[in-house]
Amino acid sequence: MRTQSKLYFYLTIGAVLLAIIAVLALNTGVYDFGGTSPFKVLWQYIKGDPGLSLSDKYVIWDVRAARIIMAILIGSMLAVSGTTLQGLFKNPLATGEAIGLTSGATLLAAIAIVLGGHFKQYLPEMVQYSLVGISAFLGALLAMMLVYRISTSAGKTNVVMMLLSGVAITSIGFSITGFLIYISKDEQLRDLTFWNMGSLAAATWTKNVVLTVVLMISYIVLLPKGKALNAMMLGEKDAQHLGVNVERLKKQIVIITSLMIGTCVAFSGTIGFVGLIVPYILRLLFKSNYVFILPLSTILGSILLLIADTFSRSIVAPSELPIGILTSLIGGPIFIAILIKFKKSL
Amino acid sequence: MKKIILAASILMAVYSCKKEEGAKKENTTETSAEAPKTNNKIVTLNGGITEIVTALGHEKEIVGTDVTSTYPESLKATAKDLGHVRSMTIEPIMAVSPTLILASEKDINPDLMAKIKTSGIQTEVFKQEFTVDGTKKLIADVAKAVGNTDYQKLNDKIDADLKQIQPIAKKPKVLFIYARGNMLMVSGTKTPMDALITLAGGQNAVTDFEDFKPLTPEAVVKANPDVLFFFETGLQGAGGNEGALKMPGVAQTNAGKNKKIIAMDGGLVSGFGPRLGEAAVGLNKLLIENTK
Repeated sequence: MRTQSKLYFYLTIGAVLLAIIAVLALNTGVYDFGGTSPFKVLWQYIKGDPGLSLSDKYVIWDVRAARIIMAILIGSMLAVSGTTLQGLFKNPLATGEAIGLTSGATLLAAIAIVLGGHFKQYLPEMVQYSLVGISAFLGALLAMMLVYRISTSAGKTNVVMMLLSGVAITSIGFSITGFLIYISKDEQLRDLTFWNMGSLAAATWTKNVVLTVVLMISYIVLLPKGKALNAMMLGEKDAQHLGVNVERLKKQIVIITSLMIGTCVAFSGTIGFVGLIVPYILRLLFKSNYVFILPLSTILGSILLLIADTFSRSIVAPSELPIGILTSLIGGPIFIAILIKFKKSL
Repeated sequence: MKKIILAASILMAVYSCKKEEGAKKENTTETSAEAPKTNNKIVTLNGGITEIVTALGHEKEIVGTDVTSTYPESLKATAKDLGHVRSMTIEPIMAVSPTLILASEKDINPDLMAKIKTSGIQTEVFKQEFTVDGTKKLIADVAKAVGNTDYQKLNDKIDADLKQIQPIAKKPKVLFIYARGNMLMVSGTKTPMDALITLAGGQNAVTDFEDFKPLTPEAVVKANPDVLFFFETGLQGAGGNEGALKMPGVAQTNAGKNKKIIAMDGGLVSGFGPRLGEAAVGLNKLLIENTK
C-alpha cells in the first residue's frame, strides 16, 4: 500500500509539472494575439466568444493546442513502448528502433514520399492525403510480423532471435531508404530528411483523436503488466512458475507496441531517443520496478517531448528545427549526467 | 509635468494597442468571406510568383515570402522571410495575418497545404510550367488573384526581350551544376534550367534523365559539355572557377579543357517570372561569348 501511495505522489508531481510546461508551451509562438494573452484567447474560444477573430481561433486551437496535445500523446506512447520492450527483452537497449519497427515504418513512408506520385491518383482522396502516414503504420506492422515470424518456433519466441532479426530488418530498411534518397528529387529529399528527424507541425485534432484511441486501448492492456514484467526479470521459466503466461505477454507487448510506434511514426515521423531514455532515467531513479516505472513513463515521455517540441518551434523562429535533433540534444546530456551520478550502482 | 507626460504616453500606448487590435480584427474577418481584390496582405511562397506580384505593382501588399523570393531586394525590409517552403510551418504564416497566400503546386509540402486549407485564408496554388507560354499564363493567373488586369505589359516585355536572343549556329552543350554543400546535382530534362538553356540557344548536355540527379564523374565525361553553368552562389560555394575545374570528371570535358564556366543569379534563372526574357538574353550572351 505504501508503494501505491508513493506512486500516486510521483504521478501527481509529474502531472503538475506537465501542466506547467503545457501552459508555457501555449504561451510560446510567433503569432501575436494583438496584446491579449493566449490563455485569455483560449478561454474565449472555450466559452464560444463570438468576438474572437477567425485567425486567433485557428492559431490557439488548431495550431498550438492541437500540437501540445499531440506532443503529450506521442511522447507518452513512445516512452511506454520503450519501457515495455525493455522489460520484455530484459535489455535496456531494446526499443522500437532496435527490433526494426521504426526502420520498417520509415522505409514504407519513404517509398510513399518518393514513389507515391506514380500511384497516388488511383487512390481515394482521403488516402492520398494520409498516404505517408498509412504507409508508415503498415511498415511498422509488417516489420513486427516479420520479426515475430523469424523468432518464433513451436509457439515460443526467442528474444535474442528477435533482437537479431530486428538488426537485420533495420539494415535492409536503411539500405532501401538510402537508395530511395539517392533517386529522389530535391523537394522529396527535403521531405525525407524532415521525416527522418520528426516533426509535430502537422498536428490536427483528428490525428489527436486517433492517437487517443490507440493510447487508451494500449494502456488498458499494458499498464497492468508491471508485475508480470517484474517477474520476467527473473527469467522466462521463473516467470512461468509465478503464474505469468509468458507467450501471451510477449505477443501482447509486441503487437501493442508496434501499433503505438506505427501510429506515432505515421503522424510525426521518426522521433528517436524518447523510448530509450525515459525508461532508463526511471530505472535509475526507481530501480527496475515496473509497477513503478511503467505508469511513470506515461508522464515523463510527455514532459520530455513537449519540452523538445516547444524548443523546436521557438529556437529558430519563424522556421523550426526537426524535433528529433532536440530530443537527442536534451536527452543526451540528462542521460550522461544520470549515468555519471549512478556510475557505481550500475 | 513628468506625470502628465507619463499619463499621456500611457494613453497613447493604450490607444495604439487598441488601434492595432482593431486593424487586426478587420483583416482577419476578411479571410472568411470573399477577400477584396485590393489591399491584400499577401504571402508568396515562390520566387517567380513574388516577382510577378511585385512587377504588377503590389510589392507593398507582400507581408511574407519564402527563401527563394530574393528579388527585388527591397522586399527584405518589408516582408518577413518565412524560410524554406518544405520546412515552413503554419504559425509563422498566420503571424503576419495574410489575407491571400500564393504558392506553386510543386513546392509546397502536403502537411503545410492541409494546414493552410483549414486556416480559412484565401489561397491560390498555381501550376508552374517552365515554358514561355506557361510563364505568361502564370502572370495572368497571379494578376487575377491579386485583382490586377494590367498585366499585358509584363508579357509584352518578355516577348520583346526574347527577340534580342541571337541564334547560335553550333548549339553549345551546357551542363547545369547545382552545388549545395557537398552534394553536386546536375539538371536533366523537365527542369527550369533545361528550359532556359534551350530558350537561350544552347542544348542541355544531360538528356537521359529528368530532374536533378547527383553528379558522377562518368556522367560528366559522357555528357561532355562545352560550357558549365552555375548559380553564382553555387559557384562560390564550389570554390569558384578553380574549384569547378577540379570537380571529378570536369577536366576531361570540352568545358574543362577550355575553361568555359559561366554563372548567373539563381533567382533570375530559375524564377520563370517576368524576368524570363532577361534571363534568357543574359544566358544567350554568355553562351555566345563562351563559344567563340
